[in-house]
Amino acid sequence: MPNGTVSVIKIRDILLVTVPSDPDDITVSELQEQVLYAMERHSAKGLILDISTVETVDSFFARTISETVKMVALMGGLSVLSGMRACVAVTTTQLGLTFEQTLTALDVDRAMDMLSVAMDDKGDSA
Amino acid sequence: MNTLCQGEMLIDTENDIVMARKSVREAAVTLGFGVTDVTRIVTAASELTRNIYVYAGSGIMRWHSINDSNVGLELVFEDKGPGIIDVKLAMEPGYSTGKGLGMGLPGTKRLMDEMDVLSEIGKGTTIRIRKWLRQ
Amino acid sequence: MTTQNYDKSRSILGSDESFRLLVDSVSDYAIIMLDTKGQVASWNAGAEKNLGYRQNEIIGRHFSCFYSSESVNEGLPEKTLKLAAENGRYEYEGWRKRQDGSRFWANTLLSPMLDSQGTLIGFAEITRDFSERKNADYARSLIEASLDPLVTIAPDGKITDVNAATESITGRSRIELIGTDFCDYFTDPEKARNGYQQVFRESMVRDYPLELRHANGRVTSVLYNASVYKDEDGAVVGVFAAARDITERKLSEERIKQQSREILELSTPVMQVWQGVVAVPLIGCLDSQRTQQFMERLLDRIVETNSPVALVDIMGVPTIDTQTAQHLIETITAVRLLGAQVVLTGVRPAIAQTLVHLGIDLSGITTRSSMAAGLLVALDLLKLQVVKKSENHRGD
Ligand SMILES: Nc1ncnc2c1ncn2[C@@H]1O[C@H](COP(=O)(O)OP(=O)(O)O)[C@@H](O)[C@H]1O
Ligand SMILES: [Mg+2]
Repeated sequence: MPNGTVSVIKIRDILLVTVPSDPDDITVSELQEQVLYAMERHSAKGLILDISTVETVDSFFARTISETVKMVALMGGLSVLSGMRACVAVTTTQLGLTFEQTLTALDVDRAMDMLSVAMDDKGDSA
Repeated sequence: MNTLCQGEMLIDTENDIVMARKSVREAAVTLGFGVTDVTRIVTAASELTRNIYVYAGSGIMRWHSINDSNVGLELVFEDKGPGIIDVKLAMEPGYSTGKGLGMGLPGTKRLMDEMDVLSEIGKGTTIRIRKWLRQ
Repeated sequence: MTTQNYDKSRSILGSDESFRLLVDSVSDYAIIMLDTKGQVASWNAGAEKNLGYRQNEIIGRHFSCFYSSESVNEGLPEKTLKLAAENGRYEYEGWRKRQDGSRFWANTLLSPMLDSQGTLIGFAEITRDFSERKNADYARSLIEASLDPLVTIAPDGKITDVNAATESITGRSRIELIGTDFCDYFTDPEKARNGYQQVFRESMVRDYPLELRHANGRVTSVLYNASVYKDEDGAVVGVFAAARDITERKLSEERIKQQSREILELSTPVMQVWQGVVAVPLIGCLDSQRTQQFMERLLDRIVETNSPVALVDIMGVPTIDTQTAQHLIETITAVRLLGAQVVLTGVRPAIAQTLVHLGIDLSGITTRSSMAAGLLVALDLLKLQVVKKSENHRGD
């Protein structure tokens, strides 16, 4: 059941989470929990949510993702939403969901670059 | 061009929302909608089937192609749940009696070409949406 | 067959009185006895009604007087007798001449009469006036031959007759269609009703557009031409309506529309101007549909070329309204969701005024007055990342 599988990979202090293409609500809810505990367990500083295979983003999915990003921020982490499909971006925007507080990137490579830069800035200022 | 497709399914469990998305995607692709319109229609179906599951417990989703002068897809979502207290208010972005974003109904209206909401308190809700193949 | 004819002729020739009375009472059919040479031997009321002659005027005359002189010259009367004698029966249709010289279209059945030895003793001719049938058949064949769907409608809107083309375009048989509501077979019944009512009012309509629905749901666009038809007294009895299938015409119109759409797409090219930068100059009026289309193309190109920056130039846009501005903002938001950024360029004074007056908030959006200035911003955005990244590597 690859569709229900959320893969979580740790690269240095970044967690790369790949969201399945058509997840049911339970999978989406569990993803939030899974991510938060993984962040804590690995003392990760960055999170990349790779949604490049996701075909539909509805308000439930959007809410859960936005919440997760906020929760990760409260835990001191920075999140990037990566690889949203063009058709999904149009639809999501029209639906009225803007992910205003969320960083976005064209693909995982660019998300990694963004996180490295941002985390470096943080390190500099600290 | 004259593809006829139709079907219906019971919305009773959380997983039925996923199944509904799959069926609607298949119907929309068969009718020849482009990838963005397919995504719009599937997203609308996802919103409305979730509303059935969350607010009414169960209901039915029906779909069929329209072959008038315009070709299109019509989806009907019907439940015998509590009904929507104030339809006009429910169509406003941000209004939610649950813990949702309140974007389901107003968002669906924007994604589709036509939307009718019929709701009676204590009796249930019927929502009909349509998307035309290239207007 | 022969035996039957024989029996019949025997009883008639035998002057069976009751049979005689029966034959006489038949007025729709001319029932005539001919002797072997074709001379009239007996004559009934129907014969008098159809052909004009009274019994005393015609008995003993040759039956060729019922034929036109051309037919007589061709030897038609004799030929029919010969064929009837040979085949035991001969049925044919053709013109017949009345006593007053007028003619009518007749259906004739000619049977030889034989005696008990099987010798020919004469002929029985039964002739019917088929004029109406002929007219009707002729009209019918014309109607059936028409490729256009034809239909007649009664004043109450019920279908009274249809041709084969109507059967095929509706997917329903004559039997199914006759007696049902004309309006039931259109996507817009109300418009169909208005159409035939207009015919009753104004005697005719031309090129009335309707859409016929086939039993399987298929829809055909047609133009109706219709007029009223009247009975002998000039009273309107119904509408005769002919449809013309214009699907082909619509298709070519659709093709032209498609082409203009393609030209439109060409007129909003999304160019990759730099590695990581796409640019699109918007020219002309932005309606909803066009902005929508532009948004989809821009997003696709950003993903295709993996470009984090998109320059959208609106120098060539003469006016902007709330809806277009809204679409523009939507585009900018959607681009951001992809992980890219829009730099809006070419914002002319008039557009800037409109945007502010409309209360549209562009504060979160990078804007520049010209495409060139925009490109500098774009390169800056890209360079910023590159520099930071290499600093990062040096720092490691
Ligand atoms: N099928 C339904 N039966 C009863 N109430 C409904 C139904 N669908 C929607 N509603 C009501 O309309 C409100 C708005 O719905 P929606 O726009 O989908 O937002 P959300 O689901 O996020 O609350 C819901 O909070 C609910 O009160
Ligand atoms: Mg909802």
